[in-house]
Amino acid sequence: MTTTPLKILVIDDDPDFRTAVTAILKSAAYTVITADDAAKGGSLIRAEKPDLILLDLMMDGLFDGFSLCHAVKTSKDFESVRHTPIIVISAVKDIAGARFGFKGEEQGMVGPDDYLDKPVGPADLLARIERLLKK
Amino acid sequence: MPDPLVLIIDDEESMRDSCSQILLKGRYRVETAADGAAGIQKVRELRPDAVIVDLKMPGISGLEVLDGVRLIDPQIMAIVITGYATVDSAVEAMKKGAYDFLPKPFTPEELRIILSRALSHRRLALEAEALRREKRQLEDNVITMVSHQLRSPLVAIQQYFEVLLADIEGPLGDKPKEMIRRARERLTGLLNLINDWLDLARINESQLVGKLKPVSLGRLLAKLVAFMGPLAKDHSVSLEWEDAEASGLRVLGDEEMLEQVFTNLIANAIVYNRPQGRVHVSLREEADAAVIDFQDTGIGISPDHLPRIFDQFFQISRSESKKMKGSGLGLSIAKKIVEAHQGRIEVTSTPGIGSLFRVRLPKMPKEDGRS
Repeated sequence: MTTTPLKILVIDDDPDFRTAVTAILKSAAYTVITADDAAKGGSLIRAEKPDLILLDLMMDGLFDGFSLCHAVKTSKDFESVRHTPIIVISAVKDIAGARFGFKGEEQGMVGPDDYLDKPVGPADLLARIERLLKK
Repeated sequence: MPDPLVLIIDDEESMRDSCSQILLKGRYRVETAADGAAGIQKVRELRPDAVIVDLKMPGISGLEVLDGVRLIDPQIMAIVITGYATVDSAVEAMKKGAYDFLPKPFTPEELRIILSRALSHRRLALEAEALRREKRQLEDNVITMVSHQLRSPLVAIQQYFEVLLADIEGPLGDKPKEMIRRARERLTGLLNLINDWLDLARINESQLVGKLKPVSLGRLLAKLVAFMGPLAKDHSVSLEWEDAEASGLRVLGDEEMLEQVFTNLIANAIVYNRPQGRVHVSLREEADAAVIDFQDTGIGISPDHLPRIFDQFFQISRSESKKMKGSGLGLSIAKKIVEAHQGRIEVTSTPGIGSLFRVRLPKMPKEDGRS
């Protein structure tokens, strides 16, 4: 009997971050796919239907992490993958969640299922992922 | 561009009528109110460019109307009409921000001239404000861009350290791990320094006047305290919040900057504390100020260090590792922000017992018609 390994999509424009996080995820036997911007990330979500998404906020372009998260949670385009858990990982100065929680919601955007600060502690990241996948 | 809107607040009907007639001839839109309260309400609803206020009215006085009106729109042009022998009130009105005063009796020409001057003054002030906002936007964007470019590489390096230290790419010996840990600490120190310098840059460049809005202190502090709960738990410190005035004390200010000051003070109280220690944050009202206390049961600050605690880069070298992490700018930034809000920040401390940081901010009067 084989169990299909769970698939995690990492969306981040920093190649070193993608490398580091992929190493963490693979050490816990996850399959990893990556994208380097929100648009490509969006396409991969629909095409590959990952079990969980790690999303950097990538606030450089017009279509950024905030917008992608909101789209997955609310837009018709992402209806088939609506319930994929999303963890936002971002380099915010203070405790993560502050910026999204306080600002994103004020603009009426739907936030992620969890957030983590960069750099992520490997044990922390794996624990949060496990918690969301168990639901 | 629509014609400027002028609101006339006067209890005498004949006065309202004659002023209206004069102004309507001169391409102004005119509204009127028969008393101070109605006048303030109309300012709120209609946002006129100028108000003409009679100083002597029954009920709310002209001076109180001035206060109320300028709270709603600090840039509104107010012209006060004074009766005979009321020079004192005219001066008082000017101090409260009236643009000019017009003693009765006055000619139509006099009214029109004063109004015309007031409105071009307002036009210039609004243009200056728009330019300042644009400049600030541009600078903010530069600062944000630089900040991102400085931080990203450092964060990537930190991330690799985390992976290495967790043995994910193979086991590392103790000595290499110790060096990586040390490197990680120096990196954290550098990141903190960058963050703080960028804050300073933003504050130094910013014109707070543009972004002043009423801020509910109780709501803001409650939100921050809830938010810092996990940090307090990590440090085994209890975090308490006391709002003596549940009715919502407000100050005029920049919410983001105040958030930064309070977060900094709460974080300090948590981090520079003892295990099983306490942090007590409280808000109360005094005659003319809102007072926020941040009390901790930490190591305290010695009397020699106390006078310098708000200096830039000043750090108490308690232990090498703690010193490397901070930038020494946090409190100096907090002081700048508080003072930019016309407030004061003070500290008292007893080494071995704890410290109390107290922030005083001028409070806003309670809004008319609301509790």
